[in-house]
Amino acid sequence: MLMIGVFVSAQLNPQLEMSTLDVFPVREPVSKRAYTVLRLRTRSGPAGYGECSGVSPADLAALRAAIQGKEASSFESIRRGLTVSAPALAGLNMAMLDIVGKFTGVPVYQVLGGPTRNQARALAQIEGETDDAIMAAVGQARAAGHRAFLIPVPATHSRNHSATLVNATRQRLDRARSAGGEGCDFVLDARGKLTPGDASALAAALERFHLLWFDEPCPLSNLSAASKVAGENVTPVGFGRFAAEAGVFQDLLRGDAVDVLRPDLCRHGITQIRRIAAVAEPYYLAVAPFHDGGPIATAAALHLAASLPNFFIQQVPYPAAEEDRRMRSRLTGKPVEDVRDGFLQLPVGPGLGVGVNEPAFTEYQERAA
Amino acid sequence: MNRRHFLTGATGALAAGQMAGAPGRRPALSFCDCALDPQSAAQRVPVGAQALEGFGSKVRITNLKTFGVTIPGAAADRPYTFVKLETNAGLSGWGEGTLEGKANAVMGCLEDFREFLIGADPMPVEHHWQSMYVHSFYRGGPVMGSAISALDQALWDLRGKILGVPVYKLLGGPNDPDGVRGYYAANARTLDDLRRLRETASAQGITAFKGGLPNYYEWIETHEKITEAVRHIETLREGLGPDLDIAVDFHAKTSPSVASVIIKEIEPLHLLWVEEPCPPENVKAMARIARRVATPIATGERLVASYGVRELVEQGVVDILQTDMNHVGGITALWKVAALANVSGISMAPHACEGPIGMLASLHLDSAIPNFLIQECCGQAAPQVRDKVWEEWFGFPAMRMVNGKYPLPEKPGLGFELTEEALKKYPFNGSRPMARVFHKDGSVAEW
Repeated sequence: MLMIGVFVSAQLNPQLEMSTLDVFPVREPVSKRAYTVLRLRTRSGPAGYGECSGVSPADLAALRAAIQGKEASSFESIRRGLTVSAPALAGLNMAMLDIVGKFTGVPVYQVLGGPTRNQARALAQIEGETDDAIMAAVGQARAAGHRAFLIPVPATHSRNHSATLVNATRQRLDRARSAGGEGCDFVLDARGKLTPGDASALAAALERFHLLWFDEPCPLSNLSAASKVAGENVTPVGFGRFAAEAGVFQDLLRGDAVDVLRPDLCRHGITQIRRIAAVAEPYYLAVAPFHDGGPIATAAALHLAASLPNFFIQQVPYPAAEEDRRMRSRLTGKPVEDVRDGFLQLPVGPGLGVGVNEPAFTEYQERAA
Repeated sequence: MNRRHFLTGATGALAAGQMAGAPGRRPALSFCDCALDPQSAAQRVPVGAQALEGFGSKVRITNLKTFGVTIPGAAADRPYTFVKLETNAGLSGWGEGTLEGKANAVMGCLEDFREFLIGADPMPVEHHWQSMYVHSFYRGGPVMGSAISALDQALWDLRGKILGVPVYKLLGGPNDPDGVRGYYAANARTLDDLRRLRETASAQGITAFKGGLPNYYEWIETHEKITEAVRHIETLREGLGPDLDIAVDFHAKTSPSVASVIIKEIEPLHLLWVEEPCPPENVKAMARIARRVATPIATGERLVASYGVRELVEQGVVDILQTDMNHVGGITALWKVAALANVSGISMAPHACEGPIGMLASLHLDSAIPNFLIQECCGQAAPQVRDKVWEEWFGFPAMRMVNGKYPLPEKPGLGFELTEEALKKYPFNGSRPMARVFHKDGSVAEW
């Protein structure tokens, strides 16, 4: 029986039908942080923008082939047949959702079933290697409205030297708490560089400092090493920026090895992190997406945050150099990374809600070194 | 030391050494959080969805109506429980929370959620889901799960209608524009009937059927009854042939011990799955069966929310999850269950044996999850009384397969129009208890 208009037909809506995809690699002048903006056009509807860490020529060709004859709403069916790198897919995911939001006239978080909150707590990623540089950056970020700071563990010169490590870290954190002033909180970032033993000793020593959490305390090479840190003290631990597969998060949860999931925004994209968050929810745990990219991904992160029940905080790079901060604000038409009293504001307007400033892509274009 | 003295002493100790911060800024102590309105007393945060005002739509829910619906003469049909959310935008959303044997309870629970939704924006469905689930304090359970399911579906129906798109597009689908793969019940008594059903399947493009067990089973079973069960399943395979997928629903009639013995015998038949080989409350019992047999195990129709499946997924017990759109917590919860299952390589074959609204909602979800296997509808290859009624309600044949797939509704929301007028012909005739069966000695049997 043919039921015209009742059931799905093969006809594509030109407002949603994707046509061309272009990528714009950019690089911050001082920090050298690099990321790639994706522009996805439709036949006669709005264009969408996304961001990821990078798209290889082979992946770009594969994405361009995959979007032909498809609507921007059909991310699941496109994802099915693709074998591109995770970041490329993450960028496409953001751009497709941007189009769906613009087509339906609402912010992406509403497409996804949100909002679940009216603002999103911010975590400033502090740059600097020395205590002095870090204190200066914390003070600056605090003045800009930040209340939570991601601070690196001090560099040390050998393994299994917990006394030196504990003392240097404690000194850095105590100074940071003074520099940040009242009402400030900290995430300590070991970038996966400590041994499980050093990490566990440090976590135990800092139990009463009340870190928000201890991030990537040791390499995530195997679960039993990671479990050691979470199992021996009450300092919350975060893992996930290096995790390529969602299954890694499920193993961490199964193994009681984690307190905060840290999927990389520019590796997993909005949809995949929503799935990872769904896995975490029945363990009563939150996600706090790792983010070391640019401002368009920050906008995507805010929509993600406003769609999740178990979101806690969003990391945002806070470049030490004024030039880098200027570039971040110039890529988008309106500011998305402004922070008030420790919170990022939800973008307003359809789609990702950021006007994109295309001329700035050329100005900050990444060039081969 | 008496209790009073102890408390005073402890406070003194805190004041002396433990408590950080200036003494003047100490918070007032709270002794009981059982007050029913703890936050509004402080008035620091707007209550309920008001906190999200300005971040959603201008549509407001103006009314919540519940409907018990009985179709006379449809032997297998439960009274359905539907809910309708009306809005100030002239749009209405429909959902279903049919819970067999507990229609009155679900309708009561739906009324209990009235205050959560009247005056609220229907767009932030996740917020409403969380509020209904978390703020109910008592967690889970099929009555609350079914009520939340109904309201969640109605909210998704409204969301799609407000945005002008079918729900599957909001979820990222469709995986397959031709529709969603399904199966019917193998309603046949004899080998000849089964052979005719196989011919019908071939003509209609049907790819799978589900059968059941022929008896009720005690904790341990006799050679005779085990042989009867095995022969019954062998007959299904013999009649339907080698090319159709066959699932067998044990319906938790069996204990883990009896189920394991039967499944071991039927392994050579390569069934699509064995369903609910034991009751659902005990994950380790289910695991004991799954560990000992190679046939895929499916379960989950009685479970609520992703919380309800966590342990099954975590322990890698099952191959297929079957949470039901009308009990698990609607689209929002079923999507999350599918996400959990997907990470562990578990497939989704959502259960559906109630009314048509939950089933149509299931199609939208099925078409947008990566690990979808097949969708139930409890229908038969030959249309039944209920199929005629559903077509009368919607104006199209709902949940009737074309080439082995249920066509996906394309209209905004869940993709159908339903009027209260259409339901008036089928007034609620009371809750109908589930079947009660007993062993020969009068003891209670699983059904």
